[in-house]
Amino acid sequence: MSASTALSAHWFDGQQGLARPVEVSLQDGHLYFGDQRLPLERVHWPERLQHGRRLMVLQGGGVLSFPDAAAFDAWADATGHQPGLIERWQLSWQLALMALAFVAALFAAGWRWGLPALSDRLVERIPPSAEQQIGDQVMALVDKQWLRPSQLSVAEQQAWRKRFARMLDKARASGMAVPEDWQLHFRRTTAVMGPNAFALPGGQMCVTDELIELLKDEPDAVLTILAHEAGHVQHRHGMRTAIRASVAAAAAAVWLGDYSSFLNGLPVLLATNGYRRDHEREADAFAREVARRGGVDPARMAVFFERIRRQYGDRAESPLAISFSSHPADTERVKFFSEREN
Amino acid sequence: MPELPLPAEPTSRTLEIRFTGSGSEYFRIWAVNLLLILLTCGLYLPFAKMRRIRYVYANTLIDGEALAFHGDGWKMFRGFVLLAVLMLAYTVASEFSPAVALAAFVVLCAVWPALWRASMQFRLGNTSWRGLRLSFEGSLAGAYLAHLPVYIPMTLLTALVPAGQGPTGDPGVNSRFWFGVSLALLCLMAPWSTALLKRYQHRGYRIAGERSVIVLHTRSVYFIGFKTLMLGVAALFLAMAAAVPLCGLLAWLQSGTVDPRAWRSYYGIATVGLLYLLGAGGLLPYYASRIQNLVWGNTRSASLRFHSELTGLTRLNLKNWLLIVLTLGLYRPFAVMVSTRLRLQAVRVESSTDPATWTAARAGLHTDASGDVAGDFFGMDVGL
Repeated sequence: MSASTALSAHWFDGQQGLARPVEVSLQDGHLYFGDQRLPLERVHWPERLQHGRRLMVLQGGGVLSFPDAAAFDAWADATGHQPGLIERWQLSWQLALMALAFVAALFAAGWRWGLPALSDRLVERIPPSAEQQIGDQVMALVDKQWLRPSQLSVAEQQAWRKRFARMLDKARASGMAVPEDWQLHFRRTTAVMGPNAFALPGGQMCVTDELIELLKDEPDAVLTILAHEAGHVQHRHGMRTAIRASVAAAAAAVWLGDYSSFLNGLPVLLATNGYRRDHEREADAFAREVARRGGVDPARMAVFFERIRRQYGDRAESPLAISFSSHPADTERVKFFSEREN
Repeated sequence: MPELPLPAEPTSRTLEIRFTGSGSEYFRIWAVNLLLILLTCGLYLPFAKMRRIRYVYANTLIDGEALAFHGDGWKMFRGFVLLAVLMLAYTVASEFSPAVALAAFVVLCAVWPALWRASMQFRLGNTSWRGLRLSFEGSLAGAYLAHLPVYIPMTLLTALVPAGQGPTGDPGVNSRFWFGVSLALLCLMAPWSTALLKRYQHRGYRIAGERSVIVLHTRSVYFIGFKTLMLGVAALFLAMAAAVPLCGLLAWLQSGTVDPRAWRSYYGIATVGLLYLLGAGGLLPYYASRIQNLVWGNTRSASLRFHSELTGLTRLNLKNWLLIVLTLGLYRPFAVMVSTRLRLQAVRVESSTDPATWTAARAGLHTDASGDVAGDFFGMDVGL
């Protein structure tokens, strides 16, 4: 590199706050200013940007400050200093927008294909024993916080378990894959949960006394609901959701970054809910199939939805509620369970 | 050096803070960073952070001279990997097992004050102005003491409250009761905690021979907390009232008719959404800006006096949130620049000595970057 023209700068030596006016020049890979001579690899060259002071951070603690940004850029060009790839990228609107479009495409592809495939893979790797342990712990926690012992007699509980097992056995005999290891718990609950049933990792299923109470004259509806929970167990939805929520949280943090952690929660909520709806549909399909093969009439589910609506009003019917709650619309589900076999 | 009008006191002059960062330029930096982060599966994060810090520093002019960042990308990378592994373990554990998550949380609480202090040491230790390094000199014991009001009541509550017991026989109601008690306790302690943390921070800053000191009364912080609480009550009523026309509009947009039943079904969601917006988007920045004014207004060193007159952060933040949501996050880099400008330019520094005469105390080099990453992970801010 040949001798370059000199450029005026303030030199701060790192020991004193005094700004020393110096002329900086570049020669043979060395930076010359005042009585100093520094090899270029010991200088942090400022990025080429439009705004901001051009500062050279020197190894050893000093700083060269160039008050005239335009003059610095012209000088840097004259010395033959090339901005790096990333700097040129940042300078160009076209390239930056292309990068962003590519990021958006990556996000969309990851959302549509990558994440479901990844969670499927990971779920297969998790041994059943580990899942069992997780389910036991969650069940213990839920038990402590939300549930009380069932008021159903042991005989009643056993009768329900037998009916459920009979339905699963029939479905299995007809060639369907159904859960092998499962536990069915009965619990009384609080007003918050009401008539409900849920599945946890590791084949744990729980049904509330309130649900049995609501549908004691409609065993087919109860069994279809239990089959729905068995669908969650069969497809290991609990583990899948956990994996997807973690990945979605990480993606939201990357996208919204340092602005506000409160805003990050929003995409995660929407994301997991979107997947959860798919899970509910999958479990519904499983339940209808198991019921039909197991000699149970899934169309009796209409009674369940009707009674729930009478008890709780039709809050869940609004279109907005669907996009926020995890279950598909009731009318859609009633229709689904009532469809005749082709 | 810019000419400044000198008032009656001939030796004292104002060191003006100017922020020249541009949203459109930061947008391009952000876009490229984002792509590189994704392509490297996150490994580029510390380098992206370094680019961001350098841009903000180069555009922060104090008395006409910019801040310089001396951090080394590879050292930040090492700290990042260490913390990423810890955080990943914690996230996985908390997703899969409540017991392990609790243990991990306890460990995190135990090391958090140390990480917090290390993050300030790293950031300030790698910042210079006029070639003079800043440093953070708060003690390790002080960092733990400053966190006590958060930790002690939480530990007591967890240890002493028997499982499933409470004012009623219903475990669901009981767990909500204890959640409410914890939340109320936290809110009650928050101003005290803020006072302790800010006192610790603002007694540890140093540049050249200037050591910061602060006179901060806990009652002043409580007064701000009380005003925030009153605004919170007002926000609750506002949300409940504003939800009426909002959900009417939503129902009308969805169905085309004004059906009172559909309208009712939106009301709960609209109220909660508005409350979230007003609370997290409006009240938190209100509290933060009042605290910034109080804390910096009471900070000084031998020859420096600070003043902060930050107003309008709440309005700006609400506008930012709205634009971020409407643009699906694309406005974020603009929002960062605009709010950084508002916060920085609200601060004024008066100096009774000429910074050109200052000399470095000693070269304080902090090589461990893991603390800095910790600050980033939890959204902590060093204070300015």
